[in-house]
Amino acid sequence: MSLDYVKFTPGFGKFMPKEYRDMVEHGPFGKKVSVSQVGTFKEILEEHPMCAGCAMTLFIRLAIVAFPNPEDTITVGTAGCGRLAISQAAIPFVYGNYGDQNGVASGLTRGLRLRFGDKPKDVVVMAGDGGMADIGFAQTLHSWFRKEKFTTIMLDNEVYGNTGGQESGMTNKNQVLKMAPLGKKFEKMDMLGMAKVSGCAYVATVVPNNPRRVESVIKKAVLVAREIGPSYIQAYTSCNIEYAIPTDKVMEDAKTVETDRYKFSEYITDEAKEYLSQLYGYKEYLPKPAAAVEKR
Amino acid sequence: MYLVANIETEICAATSCKLCTQYCPEANTILYDNAAGEDKGFKYGAAYVAVDRCKGCAQCVWVCDNMAKHNAIKMEMIDQIGETALTENVTYGEKTSSAVLANPVRGQM
Repeated sequence: MSLDYVKFTPGFGKFMPKEYRDMVEHGPFGKKVSVSQVGTFKEILEEHPMCAGCAMTLFIRLAIVAFPNPEDTITVGTAGCGRLAISQAAIPFVYGNYGDQNGVASGLTRGLRLRFGDKPKDVVVMAGDGGMADIGFAQTLHSWFRKEKFTTIMLDNEVYGNTGGQESGMTNKNQVLKMAPLGKKFEKMDMLGMAKVSGCAYVATVVPNNPRRVESVIKKAVLVAREIGPSYIQAYTSCNIEYAIPTDKVMEDAKTVETDRYKFSEYITDEAKEYLSQLYGYKEYLPKPAAAVEKR
Repeated sequence: MYLVANIETEICAATSCKLCTQYCPEANTILYDNAAGEDKGFKYGAAYVAVDRCKGCAQCVWVCDNMAKHNAIKMEMIDQIGETALTENVTYGEKTSSAVLANPVRGQM
């Protein structure tokens, strides 16, 4: 959990595979990189078995680029498509047994704080809608109510894509799927509302058709979770297989869905605003100057 | 054989929008060479594809055609693409990357 763990043991560098050497010498560890620079440095995420054109993959890629301190970050995931990519990144990944990811992350966060004190070590949970809103629902909610300081990111593809197309709590009402032939009978769960009620300090919805916005919300969520409290990001990451979206139309779908029902939203507590503006220079959260009193 | 993305350097180097590098779902696949347009007198560098990583989804084509409106990317058969970039031939530098081109089927001759 520091820059040291990505360095070579002296004398062994020349025996390492080229991609590993590129990662150490030209990766983002210990540097400040942004989404606009991708293609000019070696990214942390590597080859993975996710489907061609998967929006979830794109979101995971952008999220990992956006981590403020990748060398001090641990990701936690669970069963589902997302972990197939997240686990192929050059940062530690912990697999929470199905639905346990927020419980595992709670213990991990506390342990890291005991071990490293005030030095920030970021824990980021990335799991699907099934793992988070259905099977891991209790652990997710409880970690928020306990104000555990880590970031939770839902990769919301609105279906159990990994197991053949069953409906999840996050599937839209009346949606017909391969394993839900009569259509879903109840509304999409309001996880955003529950995140706010349970005390998350930063809550945002985002769609990966705007990479810089993804970068911005991930950075804010991770920074807020260091000091203020839990943060939650809900990302629309379509399943082009189960929803039959041609791969070259995935971004078109993302744009349509964003306009239609997945608009960008951001909720941030006053305490988190003050923290981001004072410690990290987020000008948009600086208190607005009081309007001059009009003289009569 | 299968399709992979191929970027027209002349068109790309005239604009430098870099959108395809940001929208590709695969990491370390669409890369950017700051010096790609230099010898041809272009103002900017250009993006290029490490074709051994490309899964052929064509998302970059949609982004280039519809968002950037540059029409610089086409899907081409891997055995007909000619000399192109492969991951093993990519070199990273100071805020840039470059590749020695090679035949994707035969490798570097």
